[in-house]
Amino acid sequence: CTDLDVQPRNDLTPDVFFSDDAAYERFLTRIYAGLAVTGQQGPAGNADIKSLDEGFSSYLRQYWQLQELPTDEAIIAWNDDGLPDLVTQGWSSTNQFVRAMYYRVFFQVSLANEFLRESTPEKLDARGVSKEVVDQMVTYRAEARFMRALSYWHGIDFFGDIPFYTEDQVIGSTAPTQFSRREVFNFIVNELNEIESDMLEAGTAPYGRADKGALWMLQAKLYLNGEVYTGGETYWNEAVEACNKIIESGAYTLMDEYHHNFLADNDRSTEIIWSVNFDGDATQTFGGTTYLVHAAIGGAMNAEDYGVNNGWGGLRTLPSLVDRFPDETGNIDERAIFFTEGQTKAVEAINEFTNGYTVPKYQNVTSEGVAGSDPTFADTDYPMFRFGEVHLTYAEAVLRGASNGDLGTAVAYINALRQRAYNNDAGNISEADLNLDFILDERSRELYWEGVRRTDLIRFGQFTENGVWAWKGNVQEGRTTSPHLNLYPIPAEELLANDNLEQNQGY
Amino acid sequence: QGTVQGQAIDENGEALIGATILLVGSSRGTATDFDGNYVLENVPAGEQQLRASYTGYGDLTKTITVRDGETVTLDFQLGEDAEVLEEVVVIGYGSVRKEDATGVVAKIDDKNFNRGAIVSPEQLLTGKVAGVQIAPGDGSPGGGSAIRIRGGTSINASNEPLFVIDGMPIDNEGFAGGRNPLNFLNPSDIESFTVLKDASATAIYGSRGANGVIIITTKKGQSGSRPRVNYDGYYTVNEIRGEPAMLDADNFRDVVTFFAPSRLNSLGGNNTNWFDEMLRQAQGQNHSLSVSGGGQDFGYRISAGYQQLEGIIRGSETERASFSLNYNHRFFDDKLKINTNLRGARTRDVFDPGIGAAWDFDPTQPVLDPDNEAFGGFFSYGNSLAPRNPVSAAEQRIDEGQSFRTIGNMEIEYSLGDLIDGLSVKTNLGFDVNQGDRNTFEPTTYTNTQVANFNGLVKIENYTRTNYLFDAYLNYDKSLNDRNNLKLTLGYSYQDFYEQYPLFEGQNLSTDQFGINGPAQAEDVFPANSVFENRLISFWGRAIYNFDERYVLTATLRRDGSTRFGPESRWGLFPSAAVAWRVLQEDWAGSLNNIFSDLKLRVSYGITGNQEIGDYRYLPQYAFSDQRARYQIGTDADGNPIFINTARPNAYDPGLQWEETASLNVGLEFGFANGRINGALEYYTQNTNQLLFEVNVPAGTNLSDRVLTNIGELQNQGVELTLNANLLKTSDMSWDLTGNIAYNRNEVLGLSNIAGDAGILRGGIAGGVGNNVQILRVGHAVDAFYVYEHILNDDGTPVSDEDDLMMYVDQNGDGQINELDRRIFQNPAPDILYGLTSNFQFKGFDLAMTIRGAVGNYVYNNNASNRGYYQRVQGVNIGNDQFFLNNVHESVLETQFVAPQYFSDYYVEDASFMRLDNVTLGYTLLPKRGISSLRFYVTGQNLLVFTKYSGLDPEVGVGGIDNAPFPRPMGFIFGASLGL
Repeated sequence: CTDLDVQPRNDLTPDVFFSDDAAYERFLTRIYAGLAVTGQQGPAGNADIKSLDEGFSSYLRQYWQLQELPTDEAIIAWNDDGLPDLVTQGWSSTNQFVRAMYYRVFFQVSLANEFLRESTPEKLDARGVSKEVVDQMVTYRAEARFMRALSYWHGIDFFGDIPFYTEDQVIGSTAPTQFSRREVFNFIVNELNEIESDMLEAGTAPYGRADKGALWMLQAKLYLNGEVYTGGETYWNEAVEACNKIIESGAYTLMDEYHHNFLADNDRSTEIIWSVNFDGDATQTFGGTTYLVHAAIGGAMNAEDYGVNNGWGGLRTLPSLVDRFPDETGNIDERAIFFTEGQTKAVEAINEFTNGYTVPKYQNVTSEGVAGSDPTFADTDYPMFRFGEVHLTYAEAVLRGASNGDLGTAVAYINALRQRAYNNDAGNISEADLNLDFILDERSRELYWEGVRRTDLIRFGQFTENGVWAWKGNVQEGRTTSPHLNLYPIPAEELLANDNLEQNQGY
Repeated sequence: QGTVQGQAIDENGEALIGATILLVGSSRGTATDFDGNYVLENVPAGEQQLRASYTGYGDLTKTITVRDGETVTLDFQLGEDAEVLEEVVVIGYGSVRKEDATGVVAKIDDKNFNRGAIVSPEQLLTGKVAGVQIAPGDGSPGGGSAIRIRGGTSINASNEPLFVIDGMPIDNEGFAGGRNPLNFLNPSDIESFTVLKDASATAIYGSRGANGVIIITTKKGQSGSRPRVNYDGYYTVNEIRGEPAMLDADNFRDVVTFFAPSRLNSLGGNNTNWFDEMLRQAQGQNHSLSVSGGGQDFGYRISAGYQQLEGIIRGSETERASFSLNYNHRFFDDKLKINTNLRGARTRDVFDPGIGAAWDFDPTQPVLDPDNEAFGGFFSYGNSLAPRNPVSAAEQRIDEGQSFRTIGNMEIEYSLGDLIDGLSVKTNLGFDVNQGDRNTFEPTTYTNTQVANFNGLVKIENYTRTNYLFDAYLNYDKSLNDRNNLKLTLGYSYQDFYEQYPLFEGQNLSTDQFGINGPAQAEDVFPANSVFENRLISFWGRAIYNFDERYVLTATLRRDGSTRFGPESRWGLFPSAAVAWRVLQEDWAGSLNNIFSDLKLRVSYGITGNQEIGDYRYLPQYAFSDQRARYQIGTDADGNPIFINTARPNAYDPGLQWEETASLNVGLEFGFANGRINGALEYYTQNTNQLLFEVNVPAGTNLSDRVLTNIGELQNQGVELTLNANLLKTSDMSWDLTGNIAYNRNEVLGLSNIAGDAGILRGGIAGGVGNNVQILRVGHAVDAFYVYEHILNDDGTPVSDEDDLMMYVDQNGDGQINELDRRIFQNPAPDILYGLTSNFQFKGFDLAMTIRGAVGNYVYNNNASNRGYYQRVQGVNIGNDQFFLNNVHESVLETQFVAPQYFSDYYVEDASFMRLDNVTLGYTLLPKRGISSLRFYVTGQNLLVFTKYSGLDPEVGVGGIDNAPFPRPMGFIFGASLGL
């Protein structure tokens, strides 16, 4: 007897898996969930990424940390290897958080590619998939490509020149080659144009899935930073065009209450274009909003007030953000959400939680003050794209030279945000007030802790050689740093594994 | 009827004590007493045959005429049995004369076992065999050990040897229900261990042979032996030796006063020694009873055992009830031999919560806080970041497992000598069924559940592991002529392993009153089930050719098929060859015979494999998310979210294959002084290729960042020396000394395309997530420590300063201290392992001791690095302006570190040690009528350790990171053995 045909029982082989028509939705959903969960067991277990602690491997958590911790908006107390280096811009190619982000980006790309390989018309035909599913597949495939484009965008934003591969790269084949930032940028631009017509109409996608609204927003953000990514070419008109499509779709409106976009019932927000979804029972993770809510609680704060059972005593902000608001209480500009009791404004010690005001912007309570479904894992969804940002993007693109918009509209869009914040027109600005410095500050006031700050500072040339804030460059008073830090390094592990890659300059 | 009496003596006229005298043709017999005398009454009149037998001597049968009512005398003088003295050693699928062994085979039997309160069989062997490291995981009762034979040959696959019990390879993977899978075997049922070390010996086990093989032979009934009853019982008491070096309450207050005066109001008013609260004097008992004997054609042995042992940590305990049965029978003039074994055990383990929290907990806080009803009257911070009150964990939690394991096999051997002279066929049918559960209950008042807000937890884990074996082989054993002897073996083996792990977890209990039986009271339930199966099919053959007793040649070949690998690569071939040269048998050796009693040179080479990885790693598979990792897509008609159970394609390597270890061994066996001194010297080198290694792959080439694949190369090289000396042997006194010493060095020769100074960080420590202090780097030992070089003050203490540049050597001179300034500094594997056993006997007294040790094993003292800095007393804010403070390790008084210095080489300590493992003093009473032996003994276990290591115990397992393990106790055992 030489029978060695033993089949797995816990997981499914592709033959078995794809014999069920529901497979395609499960698979596509996993690509979306890739931004939220860290593995197939909640809150941790059966991890996606293995070269670091699973709790640290969350896409959104690292995306947020890499975008916020090295900036003038956030600081964190913990001593985990490499975390203080994010705050002080002292990272190297062995930084585990940089590594986590890198592998998360390409995990998403690989998932999307695998989906595209497994959902070709030929394969569907061979498997005898129902017509209903076949019809859906056009949209599904477009969404998978959208998700791939999103991660490629993150990839070039963080790492510059990156390995590039599509569904033509089969599992186990040779290592991909490195494409320039500009080449990948062009790929994303083309992809988004190609799939646009296959995406669902703006505002019509089932909650959590991306539609044309999300696609346009990605285009707007991509074009706004196109000059950085291509090394000189500008795309201001394209940015305005994308913003106009979103606005003209009529699918989104600003919420009356700014803060309601960040609470446990923000799935009802009319302002959120596309979100990464969490749920205290069904989507448990130590990343995402669970991290954002818990890590910002400590000191004299009462965790229950924020819908959770305890604080992790990590995240605070720097005086630079506080000083951007007319006052720190939020009485004038309601977007100033700070907890100051027992906290000093200045940050003398990075690891002392009571240094620096805390920011309970994300909370696990609903707009009606009801705690979320679980006191550890937040229900709060993460607003990946928010309509408020469209207003700011339009204004900036116009200010920078778009010919298909006008300053008057730009000012009106800015004032719409400021009227909401002030609850009156006291904060309104005039055309004369609208300049790039104002835009950068206003973006911070509107979008702080929403994972856009690093990209903004780089676009405005303020991230490294210019711009000084506390603990930048590892001194309390702050100092300027080397421009090579505008890109994160490719992880040492990856450089060893793939001979085709060259490290970013300066590392 | 009459009586026969007499004496049994050896060739020198010394009395043989306990020799068996059997009345042939009956099952009646007796044993000789201390003077070698025997009396056998009620012998039927007439001509009778009596047979005397004694281990190590040839049987002697004499005829005598018995008359009614008379007493006749019949003495026996037994000669040492050449056949028996030419010891037989077990090798895979058979046995050979020791002289014919061409591989490195070490046999340790009953006489040489470690004594003491031993739960786990492998501990009988500790320190006894050169190059075998048995590193206890911790000091928990019956805790598992890590076993390394000649160093580890792998990195990601298992490094544990294969265990074979009575011909049945078993699965000794760890499991939830107990501390150690080998605990089902009662040590007193074991007759011998045979350790196969080189490839010539292990290649017959093919893809499972790379880490060596340990064959366990259990005790059998002897045919022709009168019924013997043996009882052994002991009582043991154990205690911690030394105490963890944390500050006491007064010192702690002083430190807080000095460093964090603002936190003084967070201190309590008590003086609690959390270790005293958690540790205890532990007691235990053990009883074994066996009956063995046999008739003309059969032998039997039945045994039963009971053991119960407390751990020195409050609440921990292990218990075992076991039985075993052996029956062997020869039929048709010994043409057919059947040997059956059946053994079963129930083990029960009560798990403790560990004492990690006792290291951290503020010593000024009380154990109890009667007003704190929410936490069951225990003091608690009620915060998930704060340490748990360790006493409440021990008192409030229930965590116990039990397992039922049954192993049985039947060996049938039939001689086909009528057909072809020397031919026989043998089959071995076996099964191993292991079933059990582990149950955890945490009441609603327990801190853990309170802070996680799930208000009570019930968890029931079950498991079933079965393993079926079918072996069949042909043996051909034939002397072709006077000078040529050939032994051939040809076989087939089929073994299937099936495992199932259903699990149920319930949270949010409506009441605590049902305890572990409260699943129905749980509001939220999380069921799971995991099923695994793997199968091995093998064909193998072996030839042993003996020429003129001078040269012995052994060749083996095994072809293994394993379900762990894909169809393209699942069959592998494992060859080996060895030659032994018995120098003294040469004609010209004449004069050498005056010096040596034995001289044998051996050379062997072979290839073995390692397939101990998870199942189906070669297959593309989709993993589904559980209920807590779903994702919302859309809402239903009522506006409620729709959560999808997602599916993820897993990373895989379709070309996955086993590791291959190629080993070369050169050995010299020698004996002097008429064999009173003998030993062996071995040199070996083992190269592992196709290392099974989970390695970072280029982004885009697979579905995760790391994939288990075959990459890299590893080498172990070493020298071993074993010496046995019979220093003294008179009629009253004997003294045997056995020693072994082994040197081993391992080196990573290759890792994927990682060259030069790059490497892979390993060795996660407590203190900060992702902090690793070890590295795999080409050209260095596996898991070498990778740390900063600490600058020392004039008095030898490490510099403490806020500026890293003042503390650490800037190795690359770039003016900053970062990971580029870390360097390789020592490694956890010992350079030298040694063991020394002494057995001394004087009349009725016996004194045995075992000393063992290691040189050059380094340990990273994580207990000190994670706790030895002053920032710990600044406390952690838990909201509402409340703080909890952590206790500080005493090393801070020397280092004065304010912040943690996890990567300092100060914490990498030389943990070379010498341990007095056990000392046993026994006294055997002169046999009286009906009692053949009665012995009382007392044993001291783990009495002394000499080491420079500053932590509790220099042996911290094979990983080299000391992180609050269960302290190893010292103990005393008081016991008695009775033989009837």
